[in-house]
Amino acid sequence: MARHHRQSEPERLRRDARIAGLRDFQTPSLEAVEQRRRQLWQRTATALALIAAVVVAFAIIPSDRIAEAGTGRILFAIVGVGGGLFLWAFHKETALERLTRSLTDERVLTAALTNRLHEVSLLLDAGKQMNAHLQMDELLDTILRSACELLDATGGSVMLVEETDLVTVCALGRDAAVGQRMRLGEGVAGYVAIRRDPVLIDGHADPDLFPGLVLREPYVESAMSVPLVHRAELQGVLNVNAPIGRSFTEYDLRALAVFAEQAALAIANARLYEAERAHVAALLDLRKRREVG
Amino acid sequence: MVAPRVLIAEDDPDTLVILRVNLNAAGFEPMLAGDGHTALERIETEAPDAVLLDVLLPGIDGWQVLEQLHAKGNSVPVIVCSGKDNVHDLQRARELGAVAYLVKPFDIDRLIEVTSEVVGLRQTDPVTERGTAPDTELA
Repeated sequence: MARHHRQSEPERLRRDARIAGLRDFQTPSLEAVEQRRRQLWQRTATALALIAAVVVAFAIIPSDRIAEAGTGRILFAIVGVGGGLFLWAFHKETALERLTRSLTDERVLTAALTNRLHEVSLLLDAGKQMNAHLQMDELLDTILRSACELLDATGGSVMLVEETDLVTVCALGRDAAVGQRMRLGEGVAGYVAIRRDPVLIDGHADPDLFPGLVLREPYVESAMSVPLVHRAELQGVLNVNAPIGRSFTEYDLRALAVFAEQAALAIANARLYEAERAHVAALLDLRKRREVG
Repeated sequence: MVAPRVLIAEDDPDTLVILRVNLNAAGFEPMLAGDGHTALERIETEAPDAVLLDVLLPGIDGWQVLEQLHAKGNSVPVIVCSGKDNVHDLQRARELGAVAYLVKPFDIDRLIEVTSEVVGLRQTDPVTERGTAPDTELA
């Protein structure tokens, strides 16, 4: 298809607004367009009704009294005016339709921007909350709660890597899961850990795709698992479960994956802090022993 | 000649604007939808000639939109746009009646070319063309 010059969106809006008879069209508004449309068709309907009344009057009044005026020509003129009026209204209606579409597009763009800002704001808040903790237990709890709030999830778990295993260190909605171990590569979480790819489960998970899969009790209709990776190092896996009757989407999966990047950074920092604390404690202990000795 | 109307269903505001400007310049009349519900509503009420459907949409995602269109027997040609380049998603799009599958980031000229072809396809015989849509468009 050949490219050719087309009017810019504001130019088109202004042109259509002028045709439709919308003056002072500074602030685009769908409501103003609808109001103008009602006004246009009310006026057109009134004018057409008047024309119809005149035509009927011509039919009722005895023809010999108006014959001198030329009935045919008058009727032709009246019908012509009616037709012209209808075409005029149709022309304006076409412009109003284009305006409605353009303004709907503008609203869609505004809503998309608002959604994006809302997401960024939620992620920023979650990041702030996570970075406020250096104690691992508190941090894991914050990560899980923030993830559930972000995605309206009812529960989930955080699993951390310990050598060749994934260990559930924090759980929401199923406390019994804490302490459970599974080998990397086993089940959905193990698959996510090995592949480092987020996974969305809708319905029953496929045991062929996830070797070593253990069916969960109670059954979870929709769930997501994302890897917690910081600087190419796998920290663990974050799992969240949807409430009954709701299914997560690919969109939710992307949001959780973005969240997981921040969570992985916070976990890496907390691990570093724990290691430093242990190091300082060991040094203090050594110093104490020397002083005693 | 009336410009073919193309609905762009995409959550990213920047991509929405870029696609709108480019499709407009290429002679299409773009319409926008930032989420799945709006996309379905505009497809049903405004009957566009083609749909560029991003998989990642808030509310109901692109797959669910495609499923609902398929279930309702709506024959609007849909071009699925996804960041994933895998056989599973490609197969899924094909099964749900999509006429083309484009992997992001896509070349804008290629997108316009595919959209032009799709709009042309619809004007001939949507059912036959859908069934015989070339693999190149779904790859």
